[in-house]
Order: sequence, then C-alpha cells, then structure tokens
Amino acid sequence: MDLDTFVQTLLNSIQTSSVYALVAVGLAMAFGVMKMANFAHGEFYMIGAYVLYQVYQLWGLNFWIGVVVAIPVVALLGVATERVIFRNTGANILAGFMATVGLGFVLQVAALQIWGHGLMKRIDTPYMGAAEIGDAHVGWQRLIIIPCAIAMLIALRWFLYNVKLGKALRACAQDPETASLQGIKVRNMTMLAMAIAGASAGLAGALMAPVAAITPYMGHHIVIIAFIVIVVGGTASVGGAVVAAIILGFIHTFVTTLVDSTTAAMVGVGIMALTLVVRPQGLLGRETP
Amino acid sequence: MLLALKDVWVHYRKVAAVRGISISVEEGEIVTLIGANGAGKSTTLRTISGLKRPSSGAIEFAGERIDTVAPDQITKFGIAHVPEGRHVFPYMSVVENLEIGAYLRTDKAAIDKGYEEVFEHFPRLRERRKQQAGTLSGGEQQMLAMGRALMSDPKLILMDEPSLGLSPIMCREIAKIIRDLHQLGRTIVLVEQNARLALALAQKGYVLETGSIVLDGPAQELRQNDEIKHTYLGIASTGEADGKSDNA
Ligand SMILES: Nc1ncnc2c1ncn2[C@@H]1O[C@H](COP(=O)(O)OP(=O)(O)OP(=O)(O)O)[C@@H](O)[C@H]1O
Ligand SMILES: [Mg+2]
Repeated sequence: MDLDTFVQTLLNSIQTSSVYALVAVGLAMAFGVMKMANFAHGEFYMIGAYVLYQVYQLWGLNFWIGVVVAIPVVALLGVATERVIFRNTGANILAGFMATVGLGFVLQVAALQIWGHGLMKRIDTPYMGAAEIGDAHVGWQRLIIIPCAIAMLIALRWFLYNVKLGKALRACAQDPETASLQGIKVRNMTMLAMAIAGASAGLAGALMAPVAAITPYMGHHIVIIAFIVIVVGGTASVGGAVVAAIILGFIHTFVTTLVDSTTAAMVGVGIMALTLVVRPQGLLGRETP
Repeated sequence: MLLALKDVWVHYRKVAAVRGISISVEEGEIVTLIGANGAGKSTTLRTISGLKRPSSGAIEFAGERIDTVAPDQITKFGIAHVPEGRHVFPYMSVVENLEIGAYLRTDKAAIDKGYEEVFEHFPRLRERRKQQAGTLSGGEQQMLAMGRALMSDPKLILMDEPSLGLSPIMCREIAKIIRDLHQLGRTIVLVEQNARLALALAQKGYVLETGSIVLDGPAQELRQNDEIKHTYLGIASTGEADGKSDNA
C-alpha cells in the first residue's frame, strides 16, 4: 500500500467509524436503559436516509434542512417504538426480539409503499468534489460526516454528564428501581433513550444518503455491524460503543481495501468472537449493568 | 402520627410475605423492625415506598393514604428509602449520587444546604466527592446511600439493614449518625437483623416473624424481654445481661 492509498484509506476509516459510532451509540444507549435490543434500529437508519431523500431530492430543499428534519422524525419513531413495543413487552426478551424484528419488516414495507419499488434512489450529491491530499482524494460528501458525528457524540456526552436529565438517564440505566425511589420516572427515561437512539440513527442515515444506495434494506448491513460494535464495546456502554466503532471502522476499511469486503466482515465477526472469549463484558463493559 | 400501617398484607404471587401487620410511627421517633432472614422486613419497607403494592390493608402517611402511590412519587410525600444492599449508582460520582437524591427539588439554595448537611454528617463523602460510588468501601457506600436519602429532605427515612456487612467500627459510626439524625428531629424506620444495635437506637420496636408481628413495645422493654434476649440478642441466661452494654 503506497502512501496515497494509505492516507485515502485512513480518511475513509475515520468516516466509516463515524457512521458506526452514530448508529451503535443509540443501540447501546437503549440497551443500557431497557436491557432490550432494538432489532429495527437498522430501519431507523434507513428511514433517516429516506427522509433526507424526501426533503432534499423530492422537495428540493437545502441538504442541511433534510438532515435537521431527519433527526426529530426518527427520534419520534424511537419514542413510538418504546410506547408501542417495549412498554408492552416489558422485560420479555423474546417478545422484544420478535416485535422489533417485525417492526423492521413493517418499516421496510412502509418505505416501499411511500417511496416506491424499483432501483435504489439517486440523490444529487450536494457537495461535489473531493479533498485532495497528494494523490489521495476523498469526496467532501463523505468528509462532512466526520465533524457531524463528532458534534453529535460530544453533545450526547455533554447531555449525559452535565444535564440533570442526562444524569437521571444514567442513574436509570445503572439501577432503575433505585432511580425510581429518587423520583425519576423510569418510563420517561426509556422513552428518552429511544428518542436519542432514533435521533442518532436518523442523523447517520441522512448523512449517508448521498453516498450510500438508498433502499428499504440498507439497514441490514449497518445494524449487524452495530451489534458487533456494541458487543465488542460492552453492550450497555456508550463510551465502549464509540471506542469499538473506531476500532471496527478502521479494521473494516483497511481489510476491505487490502483484501475484500467479505474478508472484512469475517474479521469483524472474528473480533467479536475473540472479545466474547477474552473479555465477555466487552472492552468498556461492566460486570453489572 | 406520621406513618401508620393498618392490617397490611403483602403477597408475592400466592405467598403471603407480610400477614396483616399494623405499625405506627410518631414524628421524631426511631422505630425499628427486627426479625430473622425472610421475616418480611424488606417487604414491609418496599410496600411503604410503593415498590410493592399491599394486597389489603391501608398505609397512611401524614393523614393521607399512600398505598397506591408509585415509587417515583413517594419522595414528593417526604419519604426516602435507603435500600438493603445500599444500591448506590455505581458508575456515578459521589456528588452525582447526591444530586440524583435531590432530583425532584428545584430550590438551588436548599439543595446546596442539603450538600452541606450531608457532608457534615459524612465528612468522608466530602473527601471522596469525585470518586465513583462503585469504588467506595461498603461503609462509605452506606453513608452515600444515607446521604442521598437526606438530599430529598425527607420527613421519614426508611433504612433497610444499614449495618449489613459492615465492620464493628463502621457499624458504630453508622449508629452514631443515625442517633445524630434523630437528635436533629428526623423520623426513621430502621430495619435490622442486628437487634442489639437497633434496640439501642430506637424508641420503639416491632418483632417480625414470618410476616407477623409477634411482639412490640418500647425498645427499653424489648431489650429486657427474655425471649428477645434469647433469640435476637444471643444471651442465654436471663438476669445477667442488661441493656446498657448494648449501646453500640
Ligand atoms: N421478589 C420476591 N418474589 C417472591 N418472594 C419474595 C420476593 N422477595 C421476597 N420474597 C419472600 O418474602 C419473604 C419476606 O422477604 P423479605 O425480603 O421481606 O425478608 P427480610 O425480612 O427483609 O429478610 P432479610 O433479613 O434476609 O433481608 C421471604 O420468604 C422471601 O422469600
Ligand atoms: Mg431484607
């Protein structure tokens, strides 16, 4: 690998890690509070992409308006998922699994109905051109994902550690019963966690829309990676999800460039298996939730 | 009367854990519930704070029925629960734990006074304010759980086995703090297996056996009761031992 390819792959890695982190953080956050996994999380990402397609491509509004609209729309979808599914499944893991897998299919069909069958949707690239460093070049459209992801993650961290509501959310993830004894409404906190999960997945989907193939099934690939990321990072650990997203983003991108994407996927699963053997609680995972 | 349980029954599915108990607590008192493992002490406290619903009977607090109030509303009434096993938020700092204790309060000045009060009772917590609660010692975690309860400025504090698993020295420290709180006018329901400690602190006691109250009265009297001496204080012969040496 020459230097130019290396630089280019490095930048691609950072961009890939950013998307992984955005998607995985929400999954970890919701899992931390509910101890339930949302298998429709990939479809949240997909809906984020379609919202951007609708606002930017079909309505012809500014790209950033599309991004800003995708965030609350998918956040609301997260809240609705909590109200309709998780509130009824309670701690029944099998029911939660079945219901959210089902929701994933429903959202795929809904996307088909609303935006039509056929080939993937094309989006005019809002930011043409590429950053050139030596002979390496990476499209601006990909590069802008990086600061957006970083901003979102910093905002989330600030919220969790500096805002009373964020602290209550953490308390609830650590010990819901004791949190309720302090006056915290656990249900509101699960709703908040699902809103955050939706918001970050929606943002990721919207940012990726111009550079990914928009199809109703685009969430499959990313949600599997997100699950690998949170297992490696520690299922309930938001910080762990970010660290693992960076590691896996780099490994996937480099292995894809050097070998191919199938090998990259296998290496990813291998890392997860290895983590489960060596450190079952995950990199930053905790013995207790 | 601040708190009254009237013929309260509590079931886990079909099994009765609490069988028609009646308890009354006056303002400013320490009332203790003592009993062996599985007697129903924790269930009683959990029912008062709304974590468990009674299957029959009534619970009144300051003249209001509270037996259908949700646990997240109970601090609004002025009841704080220090749970068995402390249950501090392990990945939050000491200060954050205290902050969560004051979750429903909005008066900034009053909350700051709360911190001061807690740090006066527990100087160790002030030293360790930035430390993660999960890395505190058992005794320090107990202090934090008690401090967190104080942060809501409660009218009534429910304490579930605060001495559990603590060294004798730490027990004495916790006992001293409970006594200080009493002197400052706080009302406390103290659940203990350590009857010696509990009867030394309390003014009134109830003895629970498999969900029923088998004995109650002023702590002074219970300390002299032969059966209690035998079963709970581990004193075989009657007559020799006396309550004074029990002061923890
Ligand atoms: N969640 C539960 N489900 C079913 N039964 C329970 C549950 N919690 C407690 N019990 C039962 O209720 C009875 C009273 O339990 P409780 O925890 O109130 O006792 P305790 O007096 O606090 O005991 P300890 O001193 O060991 O804490 C016991 O028989 C116990 O097995
Ligand atoms: Mg108990």
